[in-house]
Amino acid sequence: MSNKVPAANKIKTDLHEILDVRFITDSTFVLRFERKGIEFEAGQHICVGPPNGIHTREYSIYSAEKDDFIEILVKEVENGLVSPSLKKLQKGGFVVVEEPVGYFTINKELPTDQEYVFIASGTGVSPFHSFVLSKENLNYSLLHGVKYGSEGYDSEIYDSKRYKLCTSQEGTGDYYGRVTEYLKEKPFGKSAQYFLCGNCNMIHDVYDILEDQGVSTDNIHAEVYF
Amino acid sequence: MEFSLAKKKVGFKTLGCRLNQFETDALASKFVGMGYDVVEDSKDTDVFVVNTCTVTNQSDQKSRYAVNNALNKGHSGMLIITGCMANHHKEKLEEKYPNAYVVDNENKSAIPELVQAHFNKEIVPVNQNSGGVFNYSPAAETFHTRSMIKIQDGCDNFCTFCIIPKVRGRATSRPVDEILENIKEVVSFGYKEVVITGVNISRYKHNGIGFSDLLKKILEIPLDFRVRISSIEPDSFDDQFFALLKHPKVTPHLHLCLQSASESILLQMRRMYTYRSYKEIVNKLRAINPLFNVTTDIIVGFPGESEEDLQKSADAIRELNFGHVHTFKYSKREDTRAARMTNILPEKEKTERSEVIRDVALESKIAFRKRFIGLEQEVLIDTINGNASKGYGQSYVPISILQKLQKNQLYKVRIIDIEKQGNDPLLIGEIVV
Ligand SMILES: Cc1cc2nc3c(=O)[nH]c(=O)nc-3n(C[C@H](O)[C@H](O)[C@H](O)COP(=O)(O)OP(=O)(O)OC[C@H]3O[C@@H](n4cnc5c(N)ncnc54)[C@H](O)[C@@H]3O)c2cc1C
Repeated sequence: MSNKVPAANKIKTDLHEILDVRFITDSTFVLRFERKGIEFEAGQHICVGPPNGIHTREYSIYSAEKDDFIEILVKEVENGLVSPSLKKLQKGGFVVVEEPVGYFTINKELPTDQEYVFIASGTGVSPFHSFVLSKENLNYSLLHGVKYGSEGYDSEIYDSKRYKLCTSQEGTGDYYGRVTEYLKEKPFGKSAQYFLCGNCNMIHDVYDILEDQGVSTDNIHAEVYF
Repeated sequence: MEFSLAKKKVGFKTLGCRLNQFETDALASKFVGMGYDVVEDSKDTDVFVVNTCTVTNQSDQKSRYAVNNALNKGHSGMLIITGCMANHHKEKLEEKYPNAYVVDNENKSAIPELVQAHFNKEIVPVNQNSGGVFNYSPAAETFHTRSMIKIQDGCDNFCTFCIIPKVRGRATSRPVDEILENIKEVVSFGYKEVVITGVNISRYKHNGIGFSDLLKKILEIPLDFRVRISSIEPDSFDDQFFALLKHPKVTPHLHLCLQSASESILLQMRRMYTYRSYKEIVNKLRAINPLFNVTTDIIVGFPGESEEDLQKSADAIRELNFGHVHTFKYSKREDTRAARMTNILPEKEKTERSEVIRDVALESKIAFRKRFIGLEQEVLIDTINGNASKGYGQSYVPISILQKLQKNQLYKVRIIDIEKQGNDPLLIGEIVV
C-alpha cells in the first residue's frame, strides 16, 4: 500500500566549520559555525559536540532565523564533558551538529501585539536572543538573572526599556536581586505569555510565583537546561 | 494423490509498547498473505522474529531472554532481532548472535522481503533503508482483537530519562489519507475497535493537520467502529480535542503519561507539563464523563526523588482515581541527560518505593472499577475460556461474563460485581437482553 512514504527518521548529523569563537566572559563564549541549510524556528535547540568525540549536548540556537550562520552561547561547566572541549575549539575547526528540535517556540497564531515575558537564568537567555533578533516589533520584557553584571551577555542588543539584568551577587545590574524577587515586586499580569529558560530551580520558583499571580499554566512555557 | 509443500512457519515475540505490537501484527499479517503460518513462539519455526524493547533495563533483559530462550530450546532457523534494542545495541547484538539478522526500526517493515530473499538464497544487506517506518499494510490477521493504527513515529520531546528519541528517531507523521484508508480497510476486515498508536501521537502534524484535525477526520469515516486513543502525552491538547472526546465513537479512556506528580521532578525530567496542568486536563475529562478512565505511567526513584516527591505521586493516584497505573523503577539509560545526574537512589530503595506506588495504585484501580457496578458497558470480547468470556468495555475496564460468547463481537453488559482477589480484579457482568 504505502510505498510512497519510506520515511527514515533517524536524527541527521553533520560536520560544520567554525567561523568564529567570541568570548564574552572567561567561561562563556559564542560559537559561530556554518549554517549549511539548517532550518529552525527561534527557540529550538541543536545538539553540538566536538568533532572527535561521540558526545554531544543540547544548545539553544542564539542566532537569528535569517542569519546565514548558526551561533550558540556556551558556558563552560567545570568538570563537564562537552562544554570544556567546545571551549578549546578554534576558528577553522569543526563541530558535530544534529538537526534542530524543540517546541519552545512562539505560537504564530497569537496576535502580533501579544505581550511576552521572557525570564532567563544564565545562558538561558540564548533562545530569547534569537527571538528578539528574529521577530520584528516583538512586545517583550526580558528578565535576565545572573550572579554578576559581566554576565549580561550581549545585553546591548535589547531595547534597554525592555531588558532587566537581575544580579544576585553584586549591585552591578539593573536590579540587585534574583529574577524571582523582581517578578514578585513587579507582576506582569495574566494576559502575558511567559517563557522561562535555564536551571530548573529558577523555573520551579517562577511557576509558583506566577500561579500566585493568577497566571494560567496555558500561558507558561518552560525550557529546562539542567 | 495430492502433494502439498509444507508451509513455512514464522514465530514472533513482541516486547514493549503498542507500536511494536502494531508492527508485529502488520508483519504477521503480511507473512500470512505470503503463505506462511504465523505463531507466537519459536517452536518448530523456520523464522523467529524478536521485536525488542529497550525502554528500561528490564526490557533489555526480557528482550535478550526471548532470544536466548529460543536458542536454548533449539531454534535453528532464521533468527531476526529487530525493534528498539536492535537500534540501540546493534553492534553488541551482532557480536553476541553472529547468525542473527539485526534489523533496525527503519527497516523493520521490510523483514518479509528479507526472509524471502534468505530462503531464495539471495544476499541482501539487512539495513538498506528499503523499509520505512510507515510501510506497513493494514493487518487482516493479528494477535489482537483491536486493530492498532500507526499514525506517527519518533519523538522530539527529549525527556531526560528517555532513550526513545535515540532509538525511534525524530518525530514523523503518517499522511492523513493513508491513515484513513488504513482504518477503512481494517474495519472492512471486521475490526470493531481501532487504537490510535504512535510514540508521541499528540504531536501528530502532517501538512498542517494536527492531532485533533486528524481525529475529527477519523471520526467522520461513515463506518461502524469505536476509537481508542492509546498512550498520549498531556502537553498539547486544544479545545477541539476535548470537544471530540464527546463523540460517541470515542471511548472514554486515555493513557495519559504522568511519570511523577512532583513539580520539581517533572522539571528535572524535562516533561512539557506541570502537575497543575495535568490535573486540569483530568478535570476536563471527568467533566465530559465522570467515569472517564485515566490510566497512567509513574516512574519511581528518579535521581534526586525525595520521600516527599514520592508521596506526591501517591497522593495524585488517590486524588485523580486512576483506573490503572504502570509503575516503573527508574532505569538509567546511557546517552540520556538523567544518566549524568547525581543523587542516584539504590535499587533496594527504588523497589520499596515501587511497592508503595503499586499498593496505592491497586486501591485506586479497585475503587475506580467498583464505580461501574450497576452500570452498563459495551464489551468487546477478546478471550473465551471454557464457558467464560472476557473483554474490555468502552471505558477499558476488563469484564468477565459467565457465558460462552463470540470473540471480536460487542455485547451490552450490565456490571454486577467485581472479583474479590488478585492484582487485576475483573468486573463481573451479565448480558443485557
Ligand atoms: C534544551 C537544552 C538547551 C540548552 N542550551 C544551552 C545553552 O544555550 N547554553 C549552555 O551553556 N548550555 C545549554 N544547555 C546545557 C548543555 O546542554 C550542557 O548540559 C552543558 O553545556 C554542560 O555539558 P557538559 O558536557 O560540559 O557537562 P556534563 O558532563 O553534561 O554535566 C555536568 C553537570 O553540570 C550541570 N550543568 C549543566 N549545564 C549547566 C550550566 N549551564 N551551569 C551549571 N551547571 C550545569 C549538569 O546538570 C551536570 O550535573 C542546554 C540544555 C538543554 C537540555
